[in-house]
Amino acid sequence: MKFVSYQQATKHKLLTKQEEVELAQKMEKGDKFAREKLITSNLRLAISIANHYRNSNVPMEDLIQESNIGLIKAVDRFDWRKGFRFSTYACWWIKQSVRRYVNGDSHVKFPSGSRNLIWKINNVRKEYEKEFGVYPSNEEISEILGESVKVVASLRAGMQWPVNLDSPIGGEDGSRTYAETIEDTEARDPGDSLDEKTMLSLIYGVLDRLSAQEERVLRLRFGIGEDDNNTTKFPSTKLKGVK
Amino acid sequence: MPKGTKFKSGYATVTNRGMGYREIAEQLTAEGHKMNHATARNYFLRAMEKLAKPLVEITGDKRTAEEIALDPGFQDAMIEILSSSRKRNV
Repeated sequence: MKFVSYQQATKHKLLTKQEEVELAQKMEKGDKFAREKLITSNLRLAISIANHYRNSNVPMEDLIQESNIGLIKAVDRFDWRKGFRFSTYACWWIKQSVRRYVNGDSHVKFPSGSRNLIWKINNVRKEYEKEFGVYPSNEEISEILGESVKVVASLRAGMQWPVNLDSPIGGEDGSRTYAETIEDTEARDPGDSLDEKTMLSLIYGVLDRLSAQEERVLRLRFGIGEDDNNTTKFPSTKLKGVK
Repeated sequence: MPKGTKFKSGYATVTNRGMGYREIAEQLTAEGHKMNHATARNYFLRAMEKLAKPLVEITGDKRTAEEIALDPGFQDAMIEILSSSRKRNV
């Protein structure tokens, strides 16, 4: 699709309600020119809506392209019999298209309705933070938006941005990375290791003091052969005649 | 019936290579040290009691060393400790 600048878009004059109905009727009869006319006349609306999303770290050109796709979808689905202005109908399709694109690189895929809600949650969060200097709780957001706490909590959990574990905490000046703050669940606790060593030394001390018969029976009972103990302090058999 | 000492919570699990008291008695008898299964058990429990004694002192367990020696859990733990320390040293 060709990129349309705001200047180019303003070349097309806005349509009256009557003109919109006439073009829609012609479209129904298969008039491609009428369809194009309806699209080009509303490019300003598409650009205007795309402009609302300019702070979403997405190039403006892409936003306009996406809003134009939404506009085309609205033109194809517009039903003049309902009696509404085209812009009233189209703005929802344009917003949906742009929002879908803006949130499209999220790691969790959400349905369209949820994406809209995420957008609203983000806006509320920003405004709340600006006013009070802290993030709002899920309860506060749900009260403002009239949604259930459960829905808000799940969406907020799902929309979290992934963090690179190797990136420093607190920006580039941070001396530690996120990975350094995560507990190694497989690492042995030094306290436990010490306890185990103490216990083992006690056990080995006792093993040395066992009588020949006791040691032999214990060895057979536990299935620990003579060869197995070359690497431990388990006493070699003291029983005469036993290899 | 599995090999082991029946006591409260069940039997101590001997390893695949571990023997029952009868087998131990037979083996030692064959080696020239006449022994029956009850004696084998007595030797085993006496050894376990000796192992339990210092552990009672450091852990402050209210049970006596004799009681702990009979506990299949303690016997299992001993098997595990001795086996795992052997594996780690290899």
